[in-house]
Amino acid sequence: MAATDRFDAIVIGSGVSGGWAAKELTEKGLRVLLVDRGRMVEHGEDYPYEGKSAFEIPARDRMPAAIAKSEYFALNGWVSPSTRPFFINDRLNPYDYDAPNKFNWVRPSVVGGKSLTWGRWSFRWGPNDFEANKLEGIGTDWPIRYDDVAPWYSYVEKYIGVSGGRENLPYLPDSEFMPPVPMNIAEQWLKGRLEGEFPGRKLINTRLSNITEDKPDQGRAKCQNRAQCHRGCSFGAYFSTQAVTLPAARATGRLTVRADAWATNIEYDPARKRVTGVRLADANTGKIEVIDARMVFLCASAMSSLHVLLNSRPADSERSYFHSNGALGSAVMDHIFRVNVSGEIPGMTDYVEYGRRPGGVYVPRFRNLEQEELPFKRGYGYQGGAGRQASTPEGFGASMKHGMREYGPWRFNMGAFGECLPYDDNRVMLNFCKTDRFGTPLLRFDVTFRDNEIKMMDDAQEQGMIMLRQAGLKNVNSYRGKHVPGEAIHEMGGARMGRDPGTSVLNEWNQAHDAPNLFVTDGAMMASVSCVNPSLTFMAMTARAADHAVKQMKAGVI
Amino acid sequence: MLIDRRTALAGVVGMFGATLFAPLARALANQPAPVINTGTATPVFTPAQRALVAALSERVLPTTDTPGAITAGVPDYIEHMLGDWAIDDDRALILGGLAAIDARSMADYRKPAAQATPAQQDALLTLAMNGGLSGPADFFEAFRQLVITGYYTSEVGIKQERHYLPVPGEYDGAYPYAKVKKIFSS
Repeated sequence: MAATDRFDAIVIGSGVSGGWAAKELTEKGLRVLLVDRGRMVEHGEDYPYEGKSAFEIPARDRMPAAIAKSEYFALNGWVSPSTRPFFINDRLNPYDYDAPNKFNWVRPSVVGGKSLTWGRWSFRWGPNDFEANKLEGIGTDWPIRYDDVAPWYSYVEKYIGVSGGRENLPYLPDSEFMPPVPMNIAEQWLKGRLEGEFPGRKLINTRLSNITEDKPDQGRAKCQNRAQCHRGCSFGAYFSTQAVTLPAARATGRLTVRADAWATNIEYDPARKRVTGVRLADANTGKIEVIDARMVFLCASAMSSLHVLLNSRPADSERSYFHSNGALGSAVMDHIFRVNVSGEIPGMTDYVEYGRRPGGVYVPRFRNLEQEELPFKRGYGYQGGAGRQASTPEGFGASMKHGMREYGPWRFNMGAFGECLPYDDNRVMLNFCKTDRFGTPLLRFDVTFRDNEIKMMDDAQEQGMIMLRQAGLKNVNSYRGKHVPGEAIHEMGGARMGRDPGTSVLNEWNQAHDAPNLFVTDGAMMASVSCVNPSLTFMAMTARAADHAVKQMKAGVI
Repeated sequence: MLIDRRTALAGVVGMFGATLFAPLARALANQPAPVINTGTATPVFTPAQRALVAALSERVLPTTDTPGAITAGVPDYIEHMLGDWAIDDDRALILGGLAAIDARSMADYRKPAAQATPAQQDALLTLAMNGGLSGPADFFEAFRQLVITGYYTSEVGIKQERHYLPVPGEYDGAYPYAKVKKIFSS
């Protein structure tokens, strides 16, 4: 890259937020450098296990225990041999926490980040989500409301394609939907039973960034029902940076991509209170480089972004330039989950599923939407689905083998995702006693789920079983795993938006209070987390912030 | 063949002569990284045990109108699973169970189980299934699950025993089973 190259903006990170930032800024005329610490993965070319069967994948796509334990200990089951090329090696890239408060930090190792491997469930927040902190006097109030983001939800949804069914639920607004991924016959039955037995509770179609109609202008084909999204999809049938925003940004001719480039910190001019550029370490050689730009969009994924911010400090100081108050690193959150309930749906045994859908059904939040006396605040929803697996007759021999050619009963399973409150003392900080291979102090986590979250999951388990039994399912039971922060892979907070510069890091436009030319638009910006998957919100907020940034630049403010 | 991180990093040495970035070299040297071995399985069984695993696998999932466990490569899968992909505890259970079956075969039929007739092998497996052997109590179910997993993730299991449907295209959540009479696979 020539020394004469000049960038209007540097985008750090290329996941859902960074990809959107790069697209919006380049399309509005800016010259953008997109940096990512991961290696390059080209859409369609670098998906080594796409379409492969188990016998073509190392270890039949079961992650050997010794490797999981040694190299991927934070990923706790999320990585398998077919997705391993997309995930970071934890041993080579350590982070820190104090036992017993474990944090499982699931990190990608590629350009495109988690957009390649995400679960694709895509929900809007509702008005109540933006208002809850203020209403309940918890955490700090959001400086924006649903109406501020609604046009940007629509903008993003139309571009990427979100499938789902219109429900007109005030607390879970509809997106600009493509046709929904259909329910199967068993789920349709369950919908009628559950909604009949529990008026006000709903079983609705899944909402996914898997497209159900072709997008030929983007070179994308609709979902082919392979259920292999996590390995990469050459059809471009789900939103990923590789399939959607990166091609759009490249098409402008104004994008430069730097893979294998770790942003260790942001360069800052305290006199002018301006970001001046980014310090990069080459992942393979360790070579250090500082690149200047008029503005920076920090979208490295919430905890990595916090790491960059916390490490952006004077050489002789442990305190970040962006830590003028105590807010940076505070109120880290993740969704709480690991509660599953299941049961058998009777009948319909003449039917099976042809094809493997990318998602199933959703039970939206039904707690604390009205005045309700419950031992916890906020709420949870369930993601689920019904399916039939091969029968598992006992014994051995020809009769068992042929018995396994039949399907077992329809079995429905759903897992709860609940909201974690913003506790200021759930935080990340730097551990100056340990450094990574680039000399950066390790990020240290001190995050726990508290009473409110545990009681919420108790309720989700109890209500889930009650609902399924009363709806007529048989053999209803539940599973409860250990609740470890980080495992839901929806980690957020630590650089929250707020009106008051004394208690927040960013303003209502995602600009740092301490540097108007620094924007943070990944999960770090969140002042609370709702109970729905956040990625659609990240994309909408990024598009909104980019629009504002360009207006400010043209007005000469930045 | 999957290139793991260590191999990829080792490749970097070639690009930069011998001067790999020192912290990377230190990280690599910290401990040998385990690899997913997909070549010849690390030996776990003696030849006699290997023969017994093959014979018993074929009794669990025999050749019928489609190939059985041996043709599907299940014995090799089991050796990979125990030698390269699992943890030591799993090995002891299987080895203990094989020894118990062999001991019973010598007692009942005066020959190693691998040389017993199929009917005799079935009788031994039935004893194991019903807790009639002196070896590890969980052996039968663990062994059966290894055979089933190895078979149904093999090319034979996926493409011959089951109905191979790699790219369904459409979705039908109320598809008559009578049209296929098999389990879909991919």
